[in-house]
Amino acid sequence: MRWGMVINLAKCMRCHACVAACRVEHFLPLHITWVKLIAYEVDEGGAVDVSTYPVRCNQCADAPCTHVCPTEASHQREDGVVVIDSDKCIGCRYCVIACPYQNRTFLSKDKNPGYFPGYEKTGFENKGQKIFPHQVGTTEKCNFCVERIDAGMSRGLQPGVDRDASPACVNVCQARALTFGDLDDPDSNVSMLIRKHGGFQLRTEYGTDPSVYYVDYRLGGVPSNVAPREAQTGSHIQHLSSIDRDAAKRLHIEPKCAQPAPDGEVEP
Amino acid sequence: MKAQTRRQWLVTHEWMVKPMRQKEWISGKGILVWLAEVFSALGMGLYLVGLLAGLGGLTEGAWWATVGGWALIVLFKLPLHLVYLGRPLRFWRAIPPFTKAWKTSWLARGMFFSIVFVTAGLVQMVAWYLLFNDVVTGSATDVVTVISWAASIVAGVFILLTGVYCGFAMSYCKSVPFWNTGLLPIVFVLMGVADGLALTMGISLATDDLAISTLESWSRVLLVVNALLILGYLVQAYRKHSAAELAARDLISGSTAWVFWVGIVILGIITPLTISFVTMFLEEAQAGPLLIAAIVCHTIGAFSLKYSVLRVGIYRSVLPNVN
Repeated sequence: MRWGMVINLAKCMRCHACVAACRVEHFLPLHITWVKLIAYEVDEGGAVDVSTYPVRCNQCADAPCTHVCPTEASHQREDGVVVIDSDKCIGCRYCVIACPYQNRTFLSKDKNPGYFPGYEKTGFENKGQKIFPHQVGTTEKCNFCVERIDAGMSRGLQPGVDRDASPACVNVCQARALTFGDLDDPDSNVSMLIRKHGGFQLRTEYGTDPSVYYVDYRLGGVPSNVAPREAQTGSHIQHLSSIDRDAAKRLHIEPKCAQPAPDGEVEP
Repeated sequence: MKAQTRRQWLVTHEWMVKPMRQKEWISGKGILVWLAEVFSALGMGLYLVGLLAGLGGLTEGAWWATVGGWALIVLFKLPLHLVYLGRPLRFWRAIPPFTKAWKTSWLARGMFFSIVFVTAGLVQMVAWYLLFNDVVTGSATDVVTVISWAASIVAGVFILLTGVYCGFAMSYCKSVPFWNTGLLPIVFVLMGVADGLALTMGISLATDDLAISTLESWSRVLLVVNALLILGYLVQAYRKHSAAELAARDLISGSTAWVFWVGIVILGIITPLTISFVTMFLEEAQAGPLLIAAIVCHTIGAFSLKYSVLRVGIYRSVLPNVN
């Protein structure tokens, strides 16, 4: 058995429901997100492509983070899920650097100021701290909601099919872009999706064999998640105008000031 | 239609999509990792040179060199690493037999190497002290000599491993192509030994019982080899991967260039090399100030090398088709 996830890029509409569900499920500290939605825009000869990649820990079959961890705090369960034992983590951050997918976060004090910085912790926060004691000075990442999987399976439920045994992000995805199941079972929903739509993993050249697959329903080599020009909304046009003068010129609107480069960015 | 322009704008999480520098081991508290690695190289070099010099003929200078190298590891490298940890009091979890991670993790191996070195090095230093000061006599001398040789061999092997493991730890990271090469540990070790030679020369200026000319000859050879290795490293980075090339470009002409050119090339290699050639034609008394200058430059070079390599550790982007 190896739990895996298929993410349909064509269906994802960047609503951030998965991010919110994960935060609520695990009582995540204010400045930590286990699930991330990478949104980027590409302009190829005037054709603007807006893409969203939902990313999380890839639960690699051959996970570099487990190899580099000096205390075995990062380890792989029999079902393929890579988990972190916060009580063993010494906070060396080697896994943060070694993860080729940059999906690990070091929980420093400044990332956990409480949900309402400057105020006392709420009852909700205190209760959450008891259920999921996030330890400052350790590393965190997505764990495929193993607590839900384990609790559900102990009640005879099937992860990926029964909501009570499935990851929170999968349950809340209103676009049904996330599918969860057993990669080792050729008849599982995830295996069939991968076969049918040519599922792909990120950066296969690392040889890590991620358990997170993507499908994008590409038809004739054209990404289907690009909004047709006529379907682009006014706000979308305005957005483009704020980040690119050329785009603004093409769309016949006045450009706003250019967006500053993020700190630490290296121009390629 | 052929694309005429290709531009990308990031909306969220740009560190995953654009080539970005690693910050964990160089920014903020990460500076401690840099300093620890520098003292690791200096301690390794100083101890190793002192040990080899002492095995050739026990002198006060050789003994002080081993003490200095050992102290740099114990008083600087290990505490700095410890303070950097998010949970320092759990450090013992990374030490065998409390972990089996030494099979795969270079950090766990490094912990083990360091502890064995510190123990064996202490035994070696005490044994050398007893022998050099004639504290032991008669048959006890033979026993101490045997212990001294055994401890020296163990400490020598494990100080080398202590100096080399950080290079392996970094070169293991496929996420950072600039580090992901077998040349990195070699560069770190040879630069460390060259720095150790310089520091030993400084000690011999005070004790006056080590052949400075021999140390200088070795230093010259190592500096030339290191210069060629660094050149080869950069050429390899240019050919290896776009992110590695980006890192090399950053090192040579980017924001880290001043550290590379001033710290590594001019102060770390060219100046000590020039001084070592000039002092060949000078009397020892005249060469003293120049040697001190060379030692200072060497040390600045050691700090610069580790800083620049850590600083230009640029991640590959996560997403396909985005470079």
